[in-house]
Amino acid sequence: MIPTEAHGTIALQPSACTSCMICVRECPTWCIELESHTEQVSEPDARRPKTVNILDAFRIDFGLCMYCGICVDLCPFDALAWSPEHDLAATTAGGLVLGIDELSRAWPNRNPTSGS
Amino acid sequence: MTPLQSSALERRFRVSGHPQLLISVLDVGLACCALEVGAAITAGLLVLEEPEHSAVLEPRMNVLLISGTVTDALAPGIIRAWEALDEPRVAVSFGACANTGGPYWDAPTVTKGIDQLIPMSVYIPGCPPRPEALIAGLARLAGVGDAG
Ligand code: SF4
Ligand code: SF4
Ligand code: SF4
Repeated sequence: MIPTEAHGTIALQPSACTSCMICVRECPTWCIELESHTEQVSEPDARRPKTVNILDAFRIDFGLCMYCGICVDLCPFDALAWSPEHDLAATTAGGLVLGIDELSRAWPNRNPTSGS
Repeated sequence: MTPLQSSALERRFRVSGHPQLLISVLDVGLACCALEVGAAITAGLLVLEEPEHSAVLEPRMNVLLISGTVTDALAPGIIRAWEALDEPRVAVSFGACANTGGPYWDAPTVTKGIDQLIPMSVYIPGCPPRPEALIAGLARLAGVGDAG
């Protein structure tokens, strides 16, 4: 009944997120929170260690989110996507804040090449 | 008569897929979100009880359904509508505006969430939420009723 491309909620593919903060900065209601740290990765034959961002926490407050899709459009790494999942009602205001686990569970499986 | 009392509609509904839920809804539709409540009725997700049946069937609970932007000017009307509702009563917030102020989170005249005014049982996210999200949210009331 609900089309698979429906704008029910926004899902995250954590492995694709580089913690670049673009979505966090551009969200008009500032409802995305991100925590990350950097780590040095040494690769054989590399001249010097590489610094990478490690995503620690990613939260969207769907109480505030206005489903504008700016975060989905601007993410350079396709780590955010629309999902038809819509059964997100909560019995507390805090229950509308979803973290990495819930956001990645909502990842749509309409495009098998872009994620799990 | 406040603007709220004249615009709010009290109707009895069955919730599609949840035969145990007979609810009396005081529908306070204040902005764009209110259209989705109408969409849920048109789609058959909320089934209006015939008035002749409504007279005999006791609603299981009275629901104050607030959809849309609540301004501080309207806030006293929301509180009065809640206080006038018979027990057992629950309040449901539908959409970002009612939940937190939503797109108007920075506006000085918009109430930042109706839970600042009255106790809430269910918050339904969306801007606007889908009609199906309204049904999923109302289904949460089954649990609320059992607990209370
Ligand atoms: S859809 Fe819009 S409001 Fe919601 S998290 Fe993305 S940018 Fe923010
Ligand atoms: S824009 Fe994409 S990659 Fe950058 S922090 Fe947001 S989700 Fe992660
Ligand atoms: S939450 Fe969005 S759709 Fe609903 S009343 Fe507010 S602005 Fe309109």
